[in-house]
Amino acid sequence: MKRFPIVQGEYRVVAEPGVMITTLLGSCIAVCLRDPVVRVGGMNHFLLSEPSPGSVVDEADMQRYGIHAMELLINEIMKLGGLRSRMRAQLYGGANVVAGLRGIGHANAAFARRFLETEGIAIGHADIGGRQARKVEFLPFEGKARCTLVAEPVPVAKAPAFVSGGEL
Amino acid sequence: MPAAAAIKVMVVDDQASMRAMIRRALQDLGFKDVRDKAGPVEALDAVKSDRVHLIISDYNMPDMDGLQFLEAVRKDPVIGKTVFIMLTGSADKEIVQKAAALGVNNYVVKPFAPAALKEKIERVFGELT
Repeated sequence: MKRFPIVQGEYRVVAEPGVMITTLLGSCIAVCLRDPVVRVGGMNHFLLSEPSPGSVVDEADMQRYGIHAMELLINEIMKLGGLRSRMRAQLYGGANVVAGLRGIGHANAAFARRFLETEGIAIGHADIGGRQARKVEFLPFEGKARCTLVAEPVPVAKAPAFVSGGEL
Repeated sequence: MPAAAAIKVMVVDDQASMRAMIRRALQDLGFKDVRDKAGPVEALDAVKSDRVHLIISDYNMPDMDGLQFLEAVRKDPVIGKTVFIMLTGSADKEIVQKAAALGVNNYVVKPFAPAALKEKIERVFGELT
C-alpha cells in the first residue's frame, strides 16, 4: 500500500486503489472528500489562522485560506471525474490543543461545517473538538477513513505566508 | 475617479462560498450593484440582457472554464469590451498568458485579500472613491 502523508497547507487527491493519505492534526482541520460513484477522493489539511500574540486578524482574512484549501480539493476531484453534487465529506481535527489558542480549533471546525453546508456537500462523519491531537488515515478509492487520538503533542505550524500578486 | 457605487459587477464562480466572499469584499469597497452566477453560461445570458461594467470570474469551473468564458465575452459584439478580471490559482502561469492573449484586463491570484482585489480593479478603472 502506498502512503502519502500531508501537512498543513497541502492536499492530495487519488483515484486508484491501495493509496492511503495520512495526516496529523491539532487545531487544524482535515476534510476527507469523496465522490463514491467514480471512487475519487482526497484530503486537505488547513488552519484558518493562528494569530500571533497581540495581533488582530480579520476574520475574512482567515477564511480565505480555508476557502482556498477547500476549492483546491474540490477542483482536483472534479478534474478526475467527480461531481460536486455527489461528494460526501468527513471532518476531522479542530482540537483546542494549545494553551492560549483556545477557540482556534473551534473556529476552524465551525468554518468547515459552514463551508460544506453552503456548498451543499453532505457531512458523513465528523470527529472534531476536544483537546487531543488526531491521526487521520484515508483510503479514498475504498472510501475508508480512520481517525485515532494521539497522546503526543502536535507541532503547531504557522499559518501560511500570505501570497497574492501577479501583474499583467 | 469612478465611484465604486456606479460600477456594476458580475461575479462568476462555481463555489458559493467564494462568491459570497467576493461579494462581501466588493461591498466593503463601496460597490453597490454586485450580481453573481455559478457558471459562465448563466452569467453570459445575464450580462447580455443587463450589461455590467466589470466581470470577475474564476478560471477553474466545470462546464466552461474562465478562458472560454473570456473568449465568449470578447467575441460578443455588444458586451465584448466589458472589463474582465480573472481569478487564478498560483500555479497557473500558462493560463495567465493565454488570458492576456485573449484580452483579459487583469488577474488576481488566490487566496487574495480584499486589498489585492481593490488594487487590481483600480489598475483598470482608476482610483475608486
